[in-house]
Amino acid sequence: MRINTSRFGRIDVDAGDIIRFPSGLPGLEDCREWALLADSTNDALGWLQCVTRGDVALAVVSPRRFVPDYQVRIPRSELTPLAINDIRQAQVVVVVGTTGTDLTLNLKAPIVINLEARTGRQVIASGELSLQYELTSNRQPLRKSA
Amino acid sequence: MLVLSRQRDESIMIGDNIVVTIVDIRGDKVRLGINAPAEVPVHRQEVYEAIQRENLRAARLEPGDTADIGRFANRGSGRPDDAPR
Repeated sequence: MRINTSRFGRIDVDAGDIIRFPSGLPGLEDCREWALLADSTNDALGWLQCVTRGDVALAVVSPRRFVPDYQVRIPRSELTPLAINDIRQAQVVVVVGTTGTDLTLNLKAPIVINLEARTGRQVIASGELSLQYELTSNRQPLRKSA
Repeated sequence: MLVLSRQRDESIMIGDNIVVTIVDIRGDKVRLGINAPAEVPVHRQEVYEAIQRENLRAARLEPGDTADIGRFANRGSGRPDDAPR
């Protein structure tokens, strides 16, 4: 399948590589089919490209790579639609945002992907987590150790 | 908007498979119990709206904006065992 994207030009996506989000994403409810693309220059970064809207893409990263003490707790009811019993069966990524000056990570609403079934869902994690966790070079741990 | 009066432990049904129960009332706070099929997402409205706004803002990022994100990344797979010590 060939997609015309605003960011990456014309790209080819295998039908088998498409990830379905049955409820879309909050704010992007009409975007139900996505492709996960590798960033051409940065191996820590991926792009979720909407298949049906070439102008919609979200930068995503593996959260542990940036926030080593991030422990995601997701209510089981949020995972049931994905047919995932255990979060370790899933790929978890978080969306990169910006404050205008600094890059941020949305730790509160990670995206969970069942790679085998190729379905995904943005879930709301339990606990006090930031929607705009700022990436800085000198970051204090999330929790101070005793 | 449909407005219904309910007391503690009473419920309303939405469709034939969503039940909302008044679990507790204390002062100006009401605790609700919600029984809904797994495929029906249930969220606090202000949290859901904040995520909507954040996604729409994030969808404006361009590859040039994320060019230096690598300098915030740890090496390895990101598992705690691989984190730099």
